Amino acid sequence: MSFQKKFAIVIGVFAVLVIAWISIEFESGEVPFISVGELIENHDQFTQSRFRMGGNVDEGSISYSEDKLTVNFVLRQGEDLLPVTYLSAEIPDLFKDEAEVIVEGKYLDGVFQADNLMTKCASRYDEEANYQPLTEG
Amino acid sequence: MYALLGNSLLTISFIFTIYGLIATLLNIRNKDDRFLRSAKVAFISSSVMILGSALALIHELMVSNFDIEYVAKYTSAETPAMFKFSGLWAGMEGSLLFWLSILSLYFIFVILQNRTRHPKLMPWVIFTLGVIQIFFLVMSNFFENPFTLIPDGMIVTGRGLNPLLQHWAMLIHPPLLYLGFIGFAVPFAFAMSAIITRNLDAVWIQTTRRWTLVTWILLTLAVVLGGKWAYVELGWGGYWAWDPVENASLLPWLTGTAYLHSVLIQEKKNMLRLWNMILIMLTFTLTIFGTYLTRSGVVSSVHAFAATDLGVWFFGFIILIISVNIFLLILRRKDLKSDNRLESFVSRESGFLFNNMLFVAMMLAVLWGTMYPIFSEAVSGYKITVGSPYFNRIMVPLGLILLALTGIGPLLAWRKTSPRSLRRNFLWPVVTGLVTAALWGVLYDVKLIYPLLSAALIVFVMATISMEFYRGVKARKRITGENVFKAFFSMIDKNRSRYGGYVVHVGIVMMFAGFTGKAFDKEADLSMMPGEVRTLRNYEIVYQDYWFESSETNPGTRSNHVAKVISLDINKDGSHFDDMKPEKRFYTDQDNQPHSNVAVKTTLNEDFYVVLGDVDLDTGRATLKVRINSMVTWVWLGTLVLLLGTLISINIEEFFRRKTR
Repeated sequence: MSFQKKFAIVIGVFAVLVIAWISIEFESGEVPFISVGELIENHDQFTQSRFRMGGNVDEGSISYSEDKLTVNFVLRQGEDLLPVTYLSAEIPDLFKDEAEVIVEGKYLDGVFQADNLMTKCASRYDEEANYQPLTEG
Repeated sequence: MYALLGNSLLTISFIFTIYGLIATLLNIRNKDDRFLRSAKVAFISSSVMILGSALALIHELMVSNFDIEYVAKYTSAETPAMFKFSGLWAGMEGSLLFWLSILSLYFIFVILQNRTRHPKLMPWVIFTLGVIQIFFLVMSNFFENPFTLIPDGMIVTGRGLNPLLQHWAMLIHPPLLYLGFIGFAVPFAFAMSAIITRNLDAVWIQTTRRWTLVTWILLTLAVVLGGKWAYVELGWGGYWAWDPVENASLLPWLTGTAYLHSVLIQEKKNMLRLWNMILIMLTFTLTIFGTYLTRSGVVSSVHAFAATDLGVWFFGFIILIISVNIFLLILRRKDLKSDNRLESFVSRESGFLFNNMLFVAMMLAVLWGTMYPIFSEAVSGYKITVGSPYFNRIMVPLGLILLALTGIGPLLAWRKTSPRSLRRNFLWPVVTGLVTAALWGVLYDVKLIYPLLSAALIVFVMATISMEFYRGVKARKRITGENVFKAFFSMIDKNRSRYGGYVVHVGIVMMFAGFTGKAFDKEADLSMMPGEVRTLRNYEIVYQDYWFESSETNPGTRSNHVAKVISLDINKDGSHFDDMKPEKRFYTDQDNQPHSNVAVKTTLNEDFYVVLGDVDLDTGRATLKVRINSMVTWVWLGTLVLLLGTLISINIEEFFRRKTR
């Protein structure tokens, strides 16, 4: 077999291995976005994995620990409610009643343990959120 | 008046570029040089007009003419002057005009630099650049015109620049990035010309070698600066988040670096002609793709501009580029066949090829991780995210293999390395690498396998590079009798490419040392009352005081925001280390948008990093995040060494000497 062929085979095998490895890592690295209802219905399926959820902060549900590092609240999506706990020195400033949030983490014993909390804010580059006209006409 | 001027220049430029394209085609058809001269004049004129248009926009930004919608959207009367200037690239319309401006600068340069050279190549080179220019002119003239006026009768105050962007890096990172990105259009244009005119020997590569190096270093600096900016500004403690737009800037860098290496083979051995052509086509396409990703609304990210119709047009342009490229590759496949063949695994050629495979694999992995979530949501509505863990798990091992190759490659001979040569070159470096691995295993947790491998490989590569310098100086001394210093510098001078390359690799090794430090980072979330003390490793954090600042208390520095500040006394190993004052700002001209100003104290081996979450001004309770970031400085220092190595390779003095002859 010529060297060219040998080299091509080696490259080919290497390529197949790398692609397979990337696919496996990718699948295990996927963080699915699921609905609160889905979680409540099939909660035993979700105990090991990480996932993301979105919804609104249920009014009046926010409570902070005494040292202010942990916040507990209820995530509401449609009719479904889910208690969430999040520990961080940096609670987003836009986090308040009815705020739209995305949480990422794991589900344990009926409570969502979030390690990431994001609030939605109006995009600074939004076409619509322009300027405030002082006068018109 | 300036708006009208800017707008008109943009429109006339469009007409001149159209003419230039037609004239170039006529020259190619009729071989009449007058058409080519006329086309060059047209392209230079349109480029100058584009620059004039950009200057007009800058003028309106600096005087805060809020009749222009763009000026109102991205600046306010209180915006500091330098950020009024950077408003040029802060928003969509301006950034497109800026893109055009950089392209125009390059276009003028390429035409003038080659006015007596490469007569066979130049027509298609300027045609290609003209096509790129016309696309962006269409976008600017018809879709995203920066000179649009606000509706009649309205008076507005400017919005102001997003506080996240009010940092000196805003003046440098975007321009550098554009210079790097757009620079790849030039080797691409030469490649297109080479393939169309069938001049597929190494001439087109030699001509663009210096250009490719310059554009590559500019892109590298831009990407690293972006990381540094994120590190000091965004407060999450890292410098790379695998954000879709970060990835978009990395993709052309990966294939661009592969291209930099593989063209060396074509120059020396006239091999890999097809592969080099594919690489530069891919790199250029990825730069347009990156430009597209930030403007299409397809990804949401710290960087992304808002969603617009532009996305569809860019997508179409990318499809056009890919189609034309594939067509040309198929059409010229016989001309692209190389004469020389690979002969052995232990050859420099094969080393370069493995290098290329790895870069392409990295590019594909990053591309997949970035685009799959988008496809998935578009096709099935099923939303997923792919975070840092995936990217790191793929990129770290691939990066380590590349690091190993950095040491191995240069010591392999062309065609085939003899076993004797292998022993002679690799024995000592391999031994030092193994010794390092053993020492590491004793000092640190062996389970941290990647840091161990990284440390061993860093030492291995440094050993191979040192050996090369040592042998080179020794040989030169023997021949010329010069002393060590003279021999060292004249050795480098006589072979800029090679030794410049080694210096670049030293920079890479330093950056890897910085990356490896991440394994030793530590962070903590703290809640403290004034007077309390906390510890993190060998640091002691003492919370001293807290207060409020506004434009009333500090009129000079707090003109567009108010701030909650805390002061911390930091002690390290028992003695005083620093006084740190992290703060939380609220930008008054941006609906009180909050922003944490990070406090960082840098030393060579680690950074001490503090972010203020919040401080209750009644009780004084502060929540803060403290981090120890190991070895971060090595990333920035390594980049500077990389720059030095590239400057050596480019042979910048020779470039200027030639100009003055």
